[in-house]
Amino acid sequence: MDNKVDVYSLAKYGLNLAERSNSNLRCAEIFFGKNKYINIEIEENSIKNSEIGSDFGVSIRVIDKRGSLGFAFTNNLDKKSIEKMITIAIKMMMAGTEDLDFKNLPEKYNKYPSVKGLFDSNLKNLQIEDSIKYAKDLIKICNEDEMAISQSANFISNYSEKYIFNTNGIEINGNETSCTISSNIIVKDKIRKEISSGSDWQSKRSLKEINSVKTAKNALEDAKRNLNRIKIKNMKVPLILTPKGTIRFILSPIASAVNGETFQYKRSFLVGKRNEIIGSNYLNIDDNALIDGLSGSAQFDGEGVPCKNKKIIENGKFLQLIHNSYTAGKEGIESTGNASRSSYSSLPAIGVSNFILKNGDYTKDEIIKDVKEGIILDYTGDSPNIATGDFSGLILHGNIVKNGEIKESLNETMFGINLLDLFKNIDAVSKEFNIYGGYQAPFVRIKEVRIIGSAN
Amino acid sequence: MEGIDELKIFDDNLIKELRQIEDKIQYWDIRAGISTGASLDFTDQKSKEISSFNISECGIRTFVNGGWGFTVLKEITKKSIKNGFIKAIKLAKLSESLCKDKFKIRERDPLIKKFKISNKKKLEDISIEEKIERVKFHEKIASNYSSDIKNTRTFYVDGQSHNIFLNSFGSSIYQDLTVIRLFNLVFAQKNGILQRAVNSIGGLGGFEIIDTEEANNLSNKTASEAIQLLDAKSPVGGKFTVIMDPKLTGTFIHEAFGHACEADIVLNKESILEGRLGEKVAGEDINILDNPTMGQGKKFSIPYELYGSYFIDDEGIPSQKTVIIEKGILKSYLHSIETSSRMDFPPNGHGRATSNSSRPQVRMGITILEPKDWNLEEMIESTQNGILCEDFQYGYCDPSTGNFQFKCKMSYKIENGEKKELMRDVSLSGMTLEVLNRISAIGKDISYSDGMCGKGGQSVRVCDGGPYIRAEDITVGGLN
Repeated sequence: MDNKVDVYSLAKYGLNLAERSNSNLRCAEIFFGKNKYINIEIEENSIKNSEIGSDFGVSIRVIDKRGSLGFAFTNNLDKKSIEKMITIAIKMMMAGTEDLDFKNLPEKYNKYPSVKGLFDSNLKNLQIEDSIKYAKDLIKICNEDEMAISQSANFISNYSEKYIFNTNGIEINGNETSCTISSNIIVKDKIRKEISSGSDWQSKRSLKEINSVKTAKNALEDAKRNLNRIKIKNMKVPLILTPKGTIRFILSPIASAVNGETFQYKRSFLVGKRNEIIGSNYLNIDDNALIDGLSGSAQFDGEGVPCKNKKIIENGKFLQLIHNSYTAGKEGIESTGNASRSSYSSLPAIGVSNFILKNGDYTKDEIIKDVKEGIILDYTGDSPNIATGDFSGLILHGNIVKNGEIKESLNETMFGINLLDLFKNIDAVSKEFNIYGGYQAPFVRIKEVRIIGSAN
Repeated sequence: MEGIDELKIFDDNLIKELRQIEDKIQYWDIRAGISTGASLDFTDQKSKEISSFNISECGIRTFVNGGWGFTVLKEITKKSIKNGFIKAIKLAKLSESLCKDKFKIRERDPLIKKFKISNKKKLEDISIEEKIERVKFHEKIASNYSSDIKNTRTFYVDGQSHNIFLNSFGSSIYQDLTVIRLFNLVFAQKNGILQRAVNSIGGLGGFEIIDTEEANNLSNKTASEAIQLLDAKSPVGGKFTVIMDPKLTGTFIHEAFGHACEADIVLNKESILEGRLGEKVAGEDINILDNPTMGQGKKFSIPYELYGSYFIDDEGIPSQKTVIIEKGILKSYLHSIETSSRMDFPPNGHGRATSNSSRPQVRMGITILEPKDWNLEEMIESTQNGILCEDFQYGYCDPSTGNFQFKCKMSYKIENGEKKELMRDVSLSGMTLEVLNRISAIGKDISYSDGMCGKGGQSVRVCDGGPYIRAEDITVGGLN
């Protein structure tokens, strides 16, 4: 039934109705989002659940001349429901307060960049029966290993379409596919009776790039690396971040800190540091939406603004923020094309596209080999405080490095640092990198950090 | 079955038709619902978002010999439900053909019932303007509290839903639910130091939820905390005697212990409590239970239902009191119908899902450590070198090792039996089962806090709490 929904005529009808029903309206936007997915769940290393689902909904955003915003969404796509939503959105708009910082919704663009590989018809047309082999590969890795005792994992494929229309002439649509595999494996050291878990995941745009064996092997290695846990004493030593560690301590915090909204509310530890050196020469970050086939790539953002490639940090110097149309308008500049919108049910937020820490000249092995005594960190349940840059937390997956080799894993070990100190002390970045969703992360070495152990 | 028009299609005829096509399926259930609601998001006394929604969702689950099938759709028509049911049957058979552990879901007596949350101030009678006024009230108090307050945010969200649950045992349950939550977030800044505080209040019921004295004091409390934290000292790391307040006790019980009691985690061999039923896992004074039944608001003198409470879980099992630890002995895990069937226990009502479009998982409800006889003053007086920790920012735990960490909100030094200066960002860490055996005092009055608990990409409403408790030899970390 939904295939028969004519989004173009509904959108035109809706925008028209919004303009007619309130003379104070400045602009309006209608966003349609449609998706369908397949999800295969593995529990206890066996296929447990096969799932398919779909949704199709619409949201309307209206802003009046005072800058007050109203928003409403529904997944009932008949004309009557849409009329009702528009009436409610306008009511919400009229009840809101003035906002002089609102400038306008994006104006019409004549040109959009070309980005290839966002859509794979094999994924769009994938049947659940044909997805099973990816799940079987995951199970096999766990079955064949003596120490592995269990696995929970997922295979999820998704196809989505979006349509954006606004009263300033934006009228654009696109479709995309994604496929995500995740694995969490439990291992047991039968002699020491020690249990540990490890995880890994990958997200790709096309089916042929999916490699479940790799994900399960990584999860398994991760779990094994986390066995043989010992307590250590306090120490000041070099810290090596794995790609996942790099995302947690460098890419993800910077992505939040350069978010136009966080920045404008002064909730970012980078406030007041524009055009200043905030890290060593090894700190080079681009936000690039235009790379063919990557998870974070797009031609246009959640408001219909063309995407681009931006240098965020170059040789340690902090250059620019990422914006949607609202935060850009507040600064009197053009949107950077970073309006993110995961579904019709949310207003555009601000998010990175492909956030890339440029790789360096060292190999991963060289980075580790030079360390006489240090720590390699993969995972902590904690995140740095974006407002202050402070971090203090528990190392959940981390190991001792001794004489250039990865040794025992850590138990009850914490560490604390301010991110600016961490950035300034980066003294090596690897050639090798991993891509997790919109993050591209190499191994990174920090000259010295204080580790708080619990051994007496 | 009565109810709103959209759900009237779930009549005897439809059930009869589904029964005709259920074809070798051993169990099925259908959850469908229509939900509407509003959210208001204000920053620095200005509206950032005022929104409204109307969403319909349906999830159809089928089961055969250890394999599940699940279809999610947004259209609630007889035709779409029948199609979805047929697809779900195919999916269950697919899962069944590949799953290794074969088992059956144990038959239960059907439940035919209607539930409705009582509303003293009905949500539909409250205008958007009235909601806005309430949010502005909190924004104003927080913004004007001190010139050191740089940034405030108040977020209000409400929802009403009409839900139907049907299953192959013949259950037919209709529920009208209303929920409200209000958050207040304050950033304060002085001499280059930035501190934040956040508080929330939530429950099931009507507008009375945000009309209590506690609710009216929300922003004043948040602002006061943020300002106090500006002058707080950073802690010095080490091992200390720690007194946890009821909210922190609740977080500890929930994060560090409760997740390890979820039977799906136990079956997946990820839990430190695997194979330990009937064993002593904590000190003799420790009693822990999960009781998400309705009607507990009174205990805490509030005129609405606790945020984590529910009539039935998302598998049609009534909420009930479950004793998890009695006198230090592990008595029971928390179960869904699957885990209870496999482990041969009666289900206890913990199969919960975020929405009708998600598959139920084993989740907690209202998890409480039971009180004893200490009062807080006595605990402080008999502590030489310790920290009194109040409220939490967040916490996490690895269920396979029991290694946990919590970041506390407000912490006070205790020296020679006296409460001293305030400290910020105190983090506590340790191993769950070791700490449960090192609790030296349990208070007599209990309180709780509410929140959303995440697991496997879903989040559900929960509460947790207990009395003040004192634990010995806890690792405290800080920046210094």
